[in-house]
This record gives sequence, C-alpha cells and structure tokens, in this order.
Amino acid sequence: MTRNDPIKHFFIWPALIIVLLISIFPLVYSLTTSFMSMRLVPPMPARFVGFGNYADLLSNPRFWHVAGTTTLIAFLSVGLQYLIGLSVALALNSRVPGEGIFRVGFLLPMLVAPVAVALVARQILNPTMGPLNELMTLFGFPNLPFLTRTSWALGSIIVVEVWQWTPFVILMLLAGLQTLPDDVYEAAALENATPWQQFRDITFPMLLPISTAVVFIRLIESYKIMDTVFVMTGGGPGVSTETLTLFAYQEGFKKFNLGYTSALSFLFLIFITVIGLVYLAVLKPYLEKHK
Amino acid sequence: MSVRTLQGKRRWVALGGCLLWLAFTLFPLYWVAITSFKTPIAVVGGPTYLPFVDFEPVLTAWNELLSGERGAFYNTFIASLIVSLSAAVLATFIGAMAAYALVRFTFRFRLLSALIFVVVAFGGFLLGRNVLGYGQGISLIYSFFAALALAVISSRFRLPGPELGNNDIVFWFVSQRMFPPIVAAFALYLMYTEVGKLGFKLVDSYVGLTFAYIAFSLPIVIWLMRDFFEALPVEVEEAAMVDNVPSWRIFFGIVLPMSKPGLIATFMITLAFVWNEFLFALFLTSSKWQTLPILVAGQNSQRGDEWWSISAAALVAIIPMMIMAGILSRLMRSGLLVGAIK
Repeated sequence: MTRNDPIKHFFIWPALIIVLLISIFPLVYSLTTSFMSMRLVPPMPARFVGFGNYADLLSNPRFWHVAGTTTLIAFLSVGLQYLIGLSVALALNSRVPGEGIFRVGFLLPMLVAPVAVALVARQILNPTMGPLNELMTLFGFPNLPFLTRTSWALGSIIVVEVWQWTPFVILMLLAGLQTLPDDVYEAAALENATPWQQFRDITFPMLLPISTAVVFIRLIESYKIMDTVFVMTGGGPGVSTETLTLFAYQEGFKKFNLGYTSALSFLFLIFITVIGLVYLAVLKPYLEKHK
Repeated sequence: MSVRTLQGKRRWVALGGCLLWLAFTLFPLYWVAITSFKTPIAVVGGPTYLPFVDFEPVLTAWNELLSGERGAFYNTFIASLIVSLSAAVLATFIGAMAAYALVRFTFRFRLLSALIFVVVAFGGFLLGRNVLGYGQGISLIYSFFAALALAVISSRFRLPGPELGNNDIVFWFVSQRMFPPIVAAFALYLMYTEVGKLGFKLVDSYVGLTFAYIAFSLPIVIWLMRDFFEALPVEVEEAAMVDNVPSWRIFFGIVLPMSKPGLIATFMITLAFVWNEFLFALFLTSSKWQTLPILVAGQNSQRGDEWWSISAAALVAIIPMMIMAGILSRLMRSGLLVGAIK
C-alpha cells in the first residue's frame, strides 16, 4: 500500500538531486566528447568527427581482444563464484559443525581493498619468494610463470576474483536460503525425497530469483574490473590480460585521447547493457515458471 | 532439529569442503600478517611459514610505517576514516529517506518530463559552452537547474506518453551502477576543476570526495533499504496515521528505530565500499585528502618488491574492515540480513 503526502518530496529529493548532479555531467560530457577528436597531449583543438571514434574502435582488433578478455574473466570468475558460493551456502545452511567460525571467516575477503588483495596475490605468486611455487616444486612441477605467461596470468586473476567475491555470493545466497519455508522440506521428507531431489526440485528453483540478482550484480561489477589487474599484471604480458577499464585508462590517461576514451566507455556501456538484457531475457521464462 | 540439517557422511563431506575453503580464504591473510613481521633478508631468502620456528619476527616494517618514513601515514589514515565514516553515515541516512519514500508513497510522472530533463540538460550545456561561450562549469550549473525546473513544472501538466512510477525510479537509481567508473571518475574530476575555477575548491577536498562517495553509494543503499522497509509491518504506521501523527515523525520516531538492524548492515556495506574505493580517490585527491588504498598502491610502485613494508601498509587498510566483519557477522547471525533480499 502506498499513500500520497506532500512530504514525500522532502524525503526523496536530497537523494535525487545528489545522484542527478553527479551522474548527469559524466553522461553529458562523455557523450559529447565521444563524437569529437580531442587530445590533451599533444594539445589539439577539439574537432567534430561524428561516429569516427566509434568506427575506429570497432575496427581496432585490440578493442575486440580486450572485450574478449574481460568477458572471459567475468564469466569464468562469476561462474566459479556462484558454484562455490552456492555449495558453501548450502553447507552453512544445513548446520555443519563450526558454522559460526565459518561465517566470520568466509566474509573476510569481501572487505579487503582490491588493491591490497592484488598486492598479496603478487607476493604469493612470486616465482622465488612466494609460497605457491615452493609448493608446486614440492609436487615436482617446474617453477610456474603465474603472472608472466598469458594463460597462467588470466587464471591467477580469475582465482583472485573468486577469492575476493565468493563471500558476497555466500552472504546473499545464505540470506536467501534462510527465508525458504520449512514446511516444503517437511513434506519432501515425508515423501522420502533424496537430498539431491530436494535440491533439484525445491531449493534451486526457489532460490532462482535471488541467484539471478546475485549473478547479475557480480557480472556487471566484474566487467568493471581494474585495480586487481592493474596491480597484478598491469595488463601484461604485452596486452594479453588487459581489461576494458584498463584499456580506457591507458588511452585516456596515458595518451590523453579523450574522445576515443569516451567513445570506448559508451561502447562498454552498450556492451554491458546488451549482456544484461540477454541474461535477463534468457532467465525470464524460468523465473516466471517458478513464480 | 531442522529437516534441512545434513545427516551422516554428507555432513562430514560438507565439513571437509568448508574447511578447505576456509584454508583458501585465510591463507593469504595469514601470509600478509606474517610477512609484515619479517626482516628483508627473511623475505628474500624464500618462503617461511611459522614465526619463531622458521623466522624471527621483527618490528622493522611497522616501526618504519608508524614513524612516517613511508609517507604521510597518519594523515592518510585519518583522512580515510573521516571521509568513509561521514560518507557512509550520510549516504545511509539520505538513502534511507529516499527508500522509505519509494516504498510508502506514490510517485507518478510522465516519461516526457524525464526526457525534457535530459534534453534540456544536454542542450543547455552545449548551448552555453559552444554558442554563448560560458565556461563548462557555468553552463553545467545553468543547464542543470533549468532542466530540473522545466522537468518539475512540466510534471504539473497532463502530458501525453507513458507514465512512470516508483519501480522506474528505483531502476534508474540502480542503473547508475552500470556506467563505467573510469569515465565517471574522470568527468567528475573535470567538473570539480571547473567548479574550482568558480571559487569552490572540490578537488582534493573533504567536501568533494565525500560528496562523490555519497552519490555513488546511494544506489546500493536505496536498493538494500527498500527491501528492509518493505519487510516492515505497515500496521504500526497505519495506527500512527489514524492518530494524525505527521509523516516525518512516523519516519524518524517509528520507522527508523524499527529498522535499526537494516540501517547498521547497510551502513557497514557502504563503509566497506568507501573505505576500499580506489579509482575515485585516485582522480579526486592529490595529497591532503588521499585515502589508504592510494597509499597502499603507491607502496608497490615506489619501492618495488619490499614485501615487508607493503604487507604492513596493506594490513593497516585491512584490519579496520576485519573488525567490521566481526560485527557484521554477529548481526547476520541474528537473522538481520534476511530481510535484505527476498
């Protein structure tokens, strides 16, 4: 039930004005500059180029490579986060011994600054001073190039992302699990449903709305990944682990190519929106089926 | 005993899995903690694991850090603390008000009013900057207020076109998170510089940084608080309304105290976000209001592989949030976060 009262304006306008004020300028500014050729170093007068920047980007293989890398990191890491997060949340929800300690411990990574996480990861993955390579040598592997070979570097970034953000998935799914009603499970137990059947036919479908929201948030946030990659590999070796935000940073603040960067961020925005819409469209029939 | 509790062998498998994940979670934190107590020679000499057994712990890194040899550490810590605490408090408060309004009151406006806002804001900005020759800051301010005024006035008339409601406003707030932060950060820096030319210093200032953080936390706060308020029983408020208690007193006197757990959880999530934020701090601060993530990241580029001091600096950024985690999980146990997502 909602009601009508002039005081509602007093409640909503502070937030509305703050967000409008801070969001409209970036939008206006970057949309207008994205149609211009504009460089600060070397200084060049702004020149209208229409869709020139967009055409340049779309025909630049580096853009497609960067988009591909970001997609790979986002999808693989979010997929793993969801799988692990769901398993852990299920275990915690069914009262494993020592659940209280696990809850505190599992939350920690989420609260650590990504910059600090990346620095710690660099120490652990260091080829001579790090513990991981010593462990690997113990098992008879050669010294592994965790941050200097493309596939290993990508893998390391994904593992760090999983380490940091699985707690978020656990937190949200656990809260979702706790709201599921007990009587459905009691009925299932009477029917002698196996745990697997209970999971497949009750838990998972009922958890689908919150799962959808959690994965959606994580996907969008993962596409913005920057500080972790920046500190861990700097986009290297070469440009093989460069992500969209890092690419924008290099173009905008190393080369001061502002028009190009703005166009890049709008393509980025379109890209994320399309992925988001496709994702929601794919899941919609399932969400409605279980409503 | 709940029907969902695991039995027999499954229970031990689940426990094993949890222990494995706990080890994976905690090892990096353990590693950074012990590294901060190692001597440079102990770090370079290869990995060691147990203090007093493998290596002799020393306080070199901490002494260097606390004595200020590694940059203006106290200043940064205090700046971080002030900015994140005030941004989190204000964002939670303003966001809670907006979320409450969106749950309990009806908002209706035409899509056309929103379009008028966007068109006038864009057009006015371009007109002011390119045709009338005002600076970017002035044209932005003029066009913003003109757009806002026109949109509000236009909503008084019966306009054609689809009508938007509360859910659309919520969606608009949440969709602000989709914009690539790098552009927002840089455009904000430009905007602050322009405003600075008009006499208000925003770059590297308390007001500028806090304001930016409030704006970028609001979407999350509104999203979380809306669910908390929706879970509250509406009957109490209805009873108060029957007694003619004004809405603002219902909100401050009844609703806020009832949703204290939700407010605390939201506050902590916001606090962690602001405390750890890197990109905006990188662009909007230079010295006086620099925050901890910038200092920590700087350790790496300035000093190369001096892991002992990097670890100590990282720990200073980590520990306050660890304390937060303890409090947050205690709140979680009592089922307070349950209402947050449904």
